[in-house]
Amino acid sequence: MKFITKSLVRCAPRLGVLKDIDNEHSLSIETPLAMLYTRGGSIPHITHEVYQICCKDPQIIQIPVVSTYQFQDAMEEYDGSISEFVGMKSCISCVTVQDPGDLTQPGHHYKDYVPLWTRSGKILLNSDKYMDIIESFKPDMYYLLSDGDTNVASAQKRVTKAVDNTIHFVNKCLERHKNSTILQNAFVMAPITGGYCLRSRKRCLDELKSKELIDGFLIDGLHNNGPEVEFLTFDEIKDVIDLVVKDAPDNKLLSVQGCWNPVTIIKMVQKGIDVFDTSYCYIVTERSSALTFSMDKDSNLQGYEINLRQLRYADDFQPILPGCECLTCTKHSRGYIYHLVAVQELLGSLLLTIHNIHHFMKFFEKIRHCIAEGTLSELEKLVAEQFDEYQDEIMQGKEKKLNDENEARECLRLRNHPTLEILIRKRKVGVAIVNKAVLQDQGILMSSCDC
Amino acid sequence: MSDAANPLVFKIISECKTTRARVGKMNLPHGEVDTPVFMPVGTQGTLKGLLPEQLQKLGVQIILSNTYHLGTHPGPDILEKAGGLHKFMGWNGCLLTDSGGFQMVSLLKLAEITEEGVKFQSLNDQKSEVMLTPEHSIKIQNTIGADIIMQLDDVVKTTNPDKERIEQSVHRTTRWLDRCLKAHGKPNIQNIFPIVQGTLFKDLRKLSAEDLVQRKVKGYAIGGLSGGESKLNFSEIVHYTAPLLPKEKPRYLMGVGFAIDIIICCAMGIDMFDCVFPTRTARFGCALIMTGQLNLKQKQYKKDFNPIDKDCSCSTCKNYTRAYLHGIVTMHPVACHLLTVHNIAFQQRLMKSIRESITEQRFPEFVKIFVNGLYPQRDYPKWVTKALTSVNINLAD
Repeated sequence: MKFITKSLVRCAPRLGVLKDIDNEHSLSIETPLAMLYTRGGSIPHITHEVYQICCKDPQIIQIPVVSTYQFQDAMEEYDGSISEFVGMKSCISCVTVQDPGDLTQPGHHYKDYVPLWTRSGKILLNSDKYMDIIESFKPDMYYLLSDGDTNVASAQKRVTKAVDNTIHFVNKCLERHKNSTILQNAFVMAPITGGYCLRSRKRCLDELKSKELIDGFLIDGLHNNGPEVEFLTFDEIKDVIDLVVKDAPDNKLLSVQGCWNPVTIIKMVQKGIDVFDTSYCYIVTERSSALTFSMDKDSNLQGYEINLRQLRYADDFQPILPGCECLTCTKHSRGYIYHLVAVQELLGSLLLTIHNIHHFMKFFEKIRHCIAEGTLSELEKLVAEQFDEYQDEIMQGKEKKLNDENEARECLRLRNHPTLEILIRKRKVGVAIVNKAVLQDQGILMSSCDC
Repeated sequence: MSDAANPLVFKIISECKTTRARVGKMNLPHGEVDTPVFMPVGTQGTLKGLLPEQLQKLGVQIILSNTYHLGTHPGPDILEKAGGLHKFMGWNGCLLTDSGGFQMVSLLKLAEITEEGVKFQSLNDQKSEVMLTPEHSIKIQNTIGADIIMQLDDVVKTTNPDKERIEQSVHRTTRWLDRCLKAHGKPNIQNIFPIVQGTLFKDLRKLSAEDLVQRKVKGYAIGGLSGGESKLNFSEIVHYTAPLLPKEKPRYLMGVGFAIDIIICCAMGIDMFDCVFPTRTARFGCALIMTGQLNLKQKQYKKDFNPIDKDCSCSTCKNYTRAYLHGIVTMHPVACHLLTVHNIAFQQRLMKSIRESITEQRFPEFVKIFVNGLYPQRDYPKWVTKALTSVNINLAD
């Protein structure tokens, strides 16, 4: 598999294409793109049969090792690749380490190992164990092992360690890759870690950028995954993204992982990031919501998102998003989905997933279109307006005012609606204090960051 | 299609020469149903995680929904506004709804049955007492709009020995049927089926059936079975009751869904079945096969790269191995969807095999092959041997 982009301008949005895919020579996939997020190898709720009803274009599925680790024994004896094993033969597979949809528990490090919190408990991975898994999975594309356990509040000691570990892992994994016949044609993505410390990021990138066999880079270590990533703002990550994009070698695929909101995604695309994932659709579905933001100035604005738990949809027999061509919107109503969600029937999440993924894929299509037309800033403005308005609406619905760190902590204890609480903390208390409070509360913060 | 004045046309296409089994076609307002038929249960207006498209692809012609659940959520008002359950859930095939009475008695501890109806404590309101009358049940079922609707019946557990109480339930069920028929607002597009009661007493079953067949209805159900009685008792009552019902009308045996039970009851002349078993067992990680079931949680499947059943053509068997399913069952909802598809495909295939073997006059052979697959040591349970003997199939041959 090859990545080709004609754009030579740095820190600018770019169109590219992935092609010459093993066994699928006629296939090509355009970037920027979102890989389909999976858990245990399947898109949450979506079977192969439903996938075929809903998805016509070729896609990449993102397979986190943390939720597929249990397949290793079977995969060692299985003839096919991981995408075949999980019933998605027609998809390109991309194996990643952690699950972007779930909070990755921080800490618990051991020298030369990355802790993996699987369903059956903690598993320690080193380069060899990881590469054993990769070789048994036979993916089309994979991320090399990395220590991405850093976030905005990480202490320098942890950041330094993360970079040391990552460089060590990458070197070891590349050695294995070089000698592996199975992985000969696999597309290799190297992680760049270093938290929010630019010096560390640069050290990691300098160390890895000239290595052979690397086809792209993952900007890892920006967060610990899970729903909170939605509320990381671009301002917070901008410097790190800039640095990597400026210094990365030409023609390498650039990716980030996590539940980023569409506004932040557009901003990252504007810096030249090529690959994202649909874990955002998963967390939106988990809160029983449907994405309804408009990507077209002339269309009717429906609002950023609707929550199908709200009573007002009980007798609303319109589709989630009038005009949307997804299976959910063409066949089912808000009222029906409200009912399914209210009685906790699985079909509710399934219908929401179909819509949310469809909407998100349309969004990426629109991004590519806007890059070609040079209108990405307008799209950004349109989506940002809707996103901000929706956040304000939620804010107004909440009376509680938070002024200091203690109250932020209090709020943390009331984690009935995590994203809402995070949002309030961010807006009212300021990002830095809140992140510190949150992380201290979780026992993550060891000492203040002096980078 | 059934015509406007006649919402159910039942035609017997072929009959087994040895047993009482028959193949029929039932035309209902929402389409044709091939009998004998198994109706999967979609309790709350959805068949456990499956899209209507998937049901159609599986060849499902009719599904069952529960009036009690739908009456609680989304409730009759919403269903009325939606234009009935078919439109609400996007299902164009046929539907059957139960009366809600069974759930009242089984789910609610405090239910009390009086001549007026079933009195129970509402789950919705401030525990106020609510009465479900025959009229009320039919009104909700009229709103739901299923092709076949069930009368409210007075169900007594088969394990209850109080004959006086059972006799009362038989008479009350007939009185309630008359109230249901009187309250029925859409006789041109919905069919009410009466329910034969009488638990394990043949004389009471006879009494019940004789009362009910005098009413002008299009089909009949046998109720109050599959509730904890022995298989011997169960099969004996089915064998006794089925011929009490008119031959030219469909007979529905409520709550039966195990493959062996279905086959035996088909041999006794039953045309319709329903059960939560295939979909419920899927959620626990069990896949149905002709010789029993696989519990995919078991370690032995960890490296088993076969499909659940190589003879099954469902989308699960075409795309997934036992090893993968083993890795995700009871962990990810998608596993439940995959097994539900397979288990419904299994029931569909079973019913199709039954129909074809009857049509081709080889039903007794089919039954023998099936039973020998299930009991390869030939250690048939007594009830199976006895039940089959009663319909002229001798397993010893």
